Order: sequence, then C-alpha cells, then structure tokens
Amino acid sequence: MLLLPRFDYEEPKDLHEACKIMAGLKDNGKILAGGTDLLVNMKKGLIFPKCLVSIGKIPGLSEIEPQNGSISIGSNLIVAKLTEFDLIKQRYSILYESAASLGSPLIRNRATIGGNIVTARPAADLPPSLIALGARIKLKNKKGERELKLEDFFKGPGETVIKKDEIMTSIIIDEPPPFSGGNYIKLGHRRALEIAIVAVASFITLDKPDGIIKDAKILLSAVAPTVIHAVSAEGALIGEKPTGKLIEKVASLASQECSPIDDIRGGAQYRCAMVEVLTKRTLTAALKQAKKSR
Amino acid sequence: MKRLINLIINNKPYEIAVATNKTLTQVLRDDLNLLGTKEGCGLGDCGACTVILNGRPVNSCLVLAVQADGCEIETIEGVAPDGKALHPIQQAFVDQGAIQCGFCTPGMILSAKSLLEKNPKPTEEEIREAISGNLCRCTGYQKIVEAIQVASKTMKKR
Repeated sequence: MLLLPRFDYEEPKDLHEACKIMAGLKDNGKILAGGTDLLVNMKKGLIFPKCLVSIGKIPGLSEIEPQNGSISIGSNLIVAKLTEFDLIKQRYSILYESAASLGSPLIRNRATIGGNIVTARPAADLPPSLIALGARIKLKNKKGERELKLEDFFKGPGETVIKKDEIMTSIIIDEPPPFSGGNYIKLGHRRALEIAIVAVASFITLDKPDGIIKDAKILLSAVAPTVIHAVSAEGALIGEKPTGKLIEKVASLASQECSPIDDIRGGAQYRCAMVEVLTKRTLTAALKQAKKSR
Repeated sequence: MKRLINLIINNKPYEIAVATNKTLTQVLRDDLNLLGTKEGCGLGDCGACTVILNGRPVNSCLVLAVQADGCEIETIEGVAPDGKALHPIQQAFVDQGAIQCGFCTPGMILSAKSLLEKNPKPTEEEIREAISGNLCRCTGYQKIVEAIQVASKTMKKR
C-alpha cells in the first residue's frame, strides 16, 4: 500500500486567511484542491510538502458565475461540473469536450479546473481549450490580486509564473463572439484515464455565416514543453475564406510547428503526423459550428 | 497530529480522530473495519477504492479523511437496502456471472449505482463510460456491462 508522508494540514475558512497562511509558509506549503495530482506525487515520494493548505472550505471558489458578458469559474470547481452545466455545453462546447476527456468519471468528481492548470502538465486537457477561448486567470496573495492571460502562465513542464504564496482563485472567459466555433480532440490509446499522445484545440471566428475568417486559434498539446499556438497556421487562416484546401494547407503548417519527444506513448514523427490529422478534423468541426452559431 | 472529524457513513454518524495523512480508504478499512472498500493501486487508476461521497463516486484513496469531514459517504456495505436482501445491481452481478475474484466488484457496483440513479435507462456506451475508471482484470467487461443492463431493467419494474 502506498502511504502518504506526514504533513501539517490547514483548512482556512476564507481567502484572506488562506493568503496569510501561504505567506507564512514560504516554500513549505502546497495548495490542496482535488488532490488527484498532488496526493499521487506525494505517495510516489516525488514531493514532500511540509504543509497542505486545503481550499475546500473557502466559500465562492467552486462556482460558475456569469458576469457581464463573461463567466467566472472558481478554481476549486470540479471538472465533472464543466461537463454538466448546460451553459458550458452550449456556449463553451470546446471546454466541455476537453473536460469530458479528462481522467475518468471518478477522477473528474475530484479533480479541479485550477489544479489542471497549476500543475502545468504538457498534456493537460483543459489548458488548450481555455487558451483557445482567451481565458484569463486571477492569482491572489497577501499583497493583492493580479490577472493575467492563461497563455502567459506556463513556462515549462510543471513550471508556471505563479509565486509560492499565490493562490489561483478564478478563471475568466469572455462570451464567444457571434459566428464562432471550436473543437477539441485528444488522441490516446484508450478513452479513459489516458494522457494525451497529441491533443489539438481549434477555435475560429467568421465575420458572417459564410464569410471570411476573422480570428483563429490552434493550440497543440503534448507536442512541446507547454501547450503552444500553431502561429503560422493561425496566421494563414485569418482574412481567408475557409475552404477544404486551405484547411489542408494549414494542417500541414501546424505539424511543422511542433517539437515533440519520443516516449512510451508515441514517437515524435507519429505525433507530428497526428497533429496534421487532428488540426484538420478540429478545424473542420469548428468551422461547421461557426457557420451555425450566432 | 490527529484531528476530530464527523462522517455520515451508510446513514450512520461517526466521530473519529484521524491522522491528517490518512486517506479515506485507510480510515474506512483500518479504523472502521469496513473492508468492502478495496485498495488497489492507491493512485486513482483502478477504482477498487470507489465510494460515493456526497452523491458522487470518487477514488477514496485520493481523498484525505480530513477532507471528507462533514460529508456523507456510501460504501458497498450500505448498498443492500436492509442489509440482508441484495440490491438489484448486486443480484444482477451474481446472476450474470459478472464477478470472478471480486476485487473490483464493490467499485463497479457503486459506479453503476451512481449511473443508474442519474440515468435509469443508460445506453451501452453510457454504461462503459460510467465504469471507465474501474478496472477489472478477471472477467473482462462484457458481463459487467450486461449485469448493469439487467439491473437497469429490474430497477425500472419496481
């Protein structure tokens, strides 16, 4: 049986108290949300935090709230809820798709949106879709609060710009513009409890139902140290009328932009080839949705 | 250091002192002698430790007992209505031969119960999705899926 090392445990009742505790702990504290990553790493002996600070009893961190044209998602919201709310399913379907492919139903009932971001796994399921939707995050410590774009948050595998005493409190997503659509596809050996071999999230906005592409986001996951934009592929879409031929060209551009590694899940060459396939499929699905949306 | 927590397990209230580094699986098994909950991998991959926590099936090996303070928990011991006659899902597992060594069975039954309470007439695809966090290394999944389909029908008749 895998045992957990000893640690102190704090359960602050509000954010103010939580920030004070984190400030006092300096390097020795870890935020405990769902625990599906943290406790696993502790059992495996990879990390030994001196103190776990549970955010489970802090009110207001587990809600989805609409606020003038955007939604604010509490960092401690469990991933299962992202697959249950009609608002997410209908208006932010790309986020629904990535949430539904995370872990297993049992894991989704514990794992949180904030945890999936803060752990900064290169193959994490939620960040590609959240970045495609232009999500911003709020970080709080004793001194105050800052807001930044999620795409500026990741530095490398497991590394982010969060400071030791900061707590991620919420994720903010603006309402998708009219005539926009998105799609997320994760390729794995099986459909549950799987780390992506490759995953792609595409999101496009048209100027009118059969018009030109106003904005395009293509995010590639598990093929670089962090999730990356396929920059040249995005650029090649903007200002163009979407056609099958254009999508073929863009998909091949995307596959040239990744820098995957060979590992047990797949070879680098295979991953590049799959980036092309998934870019094509996600763009085609995103386009179909954009034409129907308003 | 130990902390005092309150749990409601299978509708019975408990007040227990637990070490902060004890998982819910450990407390159920070691402190409360509820041995129906199994520990397999201890890492959230196998689902043998599944319990229903505030209405949702979870891997109890990845929940600290102190995190469960104030929660309602259902374990396999609480599934049979009066503790004697089997629950229709349990009966279906027996009748369909969906049990071999039995180690995954408590988790499978609790995942199936959560599914059928939310969705009394699931498709085969929905059943396979619902038990996708529960691994079985003996029978394969076919008989388990069939047992859940049979249970769905017998529960509807009641």
